[in-house]
Amino acid sequence: MDTAILAESLGKTYTRRKRADGFWAGLRAYFSFESETVAAVSDLSFRIERGESVGLIGENGAGKSTTVKMLTGILVPTHGRVETLGVVPARERRKLAQSMGVVFGQKPQILWDIPARESFRLLKVMYAVPDDVFRFTYHEAVERLELGDFLDTPVRLLSLGQRMRCDLAASLLHAPAVAFLDEPTIGLDVLVKERVREHLIEMRRRFGTTIVLTTHDLKDITATCERLLVLDRGRLLYDGSREGFEQRFAVGRTLVVALEHEADAPTRRALEAELSSEEVTFVWDTPHRLRVECARSASAPRVTASVLEHLRVADLSVQGAELDAIVTRLYRSGKAAAE
Amino acid sequence: MRALAAPTFRQSLAGFVVLAQKTAQTKLTYRLATLITLLSSGFAYCVFLLVWREVYRHDPHAGPLSREQMMAYLVMAFLVNSALIMNVETRFLQRVRMGLVTGDLLRPLSFVFFQMAQATGDVLVNALFAVPIYAAGLVFAGSALFPASLLAAVLGALSLVLAFFIAFSVSYLLVQASFVLQSGYGIFFARAALHQVFSGLTAPLVMFPQSLRRVAEWLPFRCEIETPVRLWLGHAELGDAPRLLAEQAAWGVGLFVTGELVFRAVMRHHQVQGG
Repeated sequence: MDTAILAESLGKTYTRRKRADGFWAGLRAYFSFESETVAAVSDLSFRIERGESVGLIGENGAGKSTTVKMLTGILVPTHGRVETLGVVPARERRKLAQSMGVVFGQKPQILWDIPARESFRLLKVMYAVPDDVFRFTYHEAVERLELGDFLDTPVRLLSLGQRMRCDLAASLLHAPAVAFLDEPTIGLDVLVKERVREHLIEMRRRFGTTIVLTTHDLKDITATCERLLVLDRGRLLYDGSREGFEQRFAVGRTLVVALEHEADAPTRRALEAELSSEEVTFVWDTPHRLRVECARSASAPRVTASVLEHLRVADLSVQGAELDAIVTRLYRSGKAAAE
Repeated sequence: MRALAAPTFRQSLAGFVVLAQKTAQTKLTYRLATLITLLSSGFAYCVFLLVWREVYRHDPHAGPLSREQMMAYLVMAFLVNSALIMNVETRFLQRVRMGLVTGDLLRPLSFVFFQMAQATGDVLVNALFAVPIYAAGLVFAGSALFPASLLAAVLGALSLVLAFFIAFSVSYLLVQASFVLQSGYGIFFARAALHQVFSGLTAPLVMFPQSLRRVAEWLPFRCEIETPVRLWLGHAELGDAPRLLAEQAAWGVGLFVTGELVFRAVMRHHQVQGG
């Protein structure tokens, strides 16, 4: 398989002036030239094959956007080697741009004062998109992302969600070989998010587009990516399949139980005695709400059966096996370790 | 893997033209704001012309030019200045501050031509407004505003194109400062002040004290305004035209190349604001 993206010992450091809070500190800093070096990304190595769909996740400030900017050629790495579609991005940015689509969720890429339809026409000419490709990508975007109602409205008058959809459509109009999508679903409602995911899947199916998706909504990842790169404070914490990630980092599940009636002490004791052989912890949030935290070794079906047998259950759910629960736990543990 | 191909010249040219068109369209969106700017600066300049007219009424030999020549010069200087107003700096500064410049860096059109296409769009709209300014100028300058000859008109027009190239290149060079300073307002105001003084916008440089004229000779600003105006009005000898045009071309190319070199150096160290 061809390599679409290659990063070897990639790193980016910034130098920034030291600043302090308050007016007087600000005044002192004005006359000071003290600076500090901050490592945004350190020693990042990975390879993404052509056609892969990879989720790049991490906490705020983990280095995701900096990584995407180095892969697209906007930033020059401080050290290491990077290649996207076989070229060094910062050196051959124009050549690469022709085959690359990029969305920065918080930075509108299409012209602000004219309708999106006009921006799309501009991009068609600028990228020399063949008519048949444009016909497909344009109609796919208009239909799938439901752009029809506001295509002729100046972009500055659109809502965030409408603008985001236009930005995404614009970035994929030329059917790029690789698409970097930095928070493409930010500010979208659940239905629109679903549409965006469908659009990405369709573009990938049709054109074999390599997708690098950065997002804080892990449902985006679950729906569109089979591989994960997890960044933590600029370093690569995990690189592998989504399933592998879940197996490696899932520590267990939590059974959340809402009760019809308050459970008396003997009932509680009976339940706890029955499950004493399992690695579980009982947490009574209120007399009507119980959380049973199960270790990975615990048998969820057995725990569930015992709970249903002993308690009058109004509602029951299992949490913690989902990707976002695992990632949340991972972030928390990372923060705790750092502190 | 299929090797990536750089965009062809034809594709780049088409992209340039359509981007210029869309920028012009954008500029026309804010018609009331554009009209207010035009009217207010036009009013200020009319007052300025009236003051000069009054000076010449008291002393017909107030300067080396006749009253008609002076009025024609000042009207043409205002016209050229208005035509060359590009929003390169303001647009760019805003985009750097908000981190939006990333979008410009990710297009198949080179960054400098991306900026130049937008500047061309600005100038296209300015050209539309130049017609009424020229007509209004006839009130002050009369037939002295007409080109001295057909050749003078051609040379003036050619010089105006080169003036655009210089003005753009100066702006392009200065916007690199925004990458480094994150806010380039100080530099842009400095440029505006130097341009105001040394371009010949307020008066022909021949009326300046010798010391200031010497400074002006070492700066590109007079090539933006004074040179095209002198060629159009026939205030420059035709024999001087090749030298004046060559001087403009040299400034244009020099500034353009310097801007590109600085851009490449800056790109190695710049930061993108706003995450």
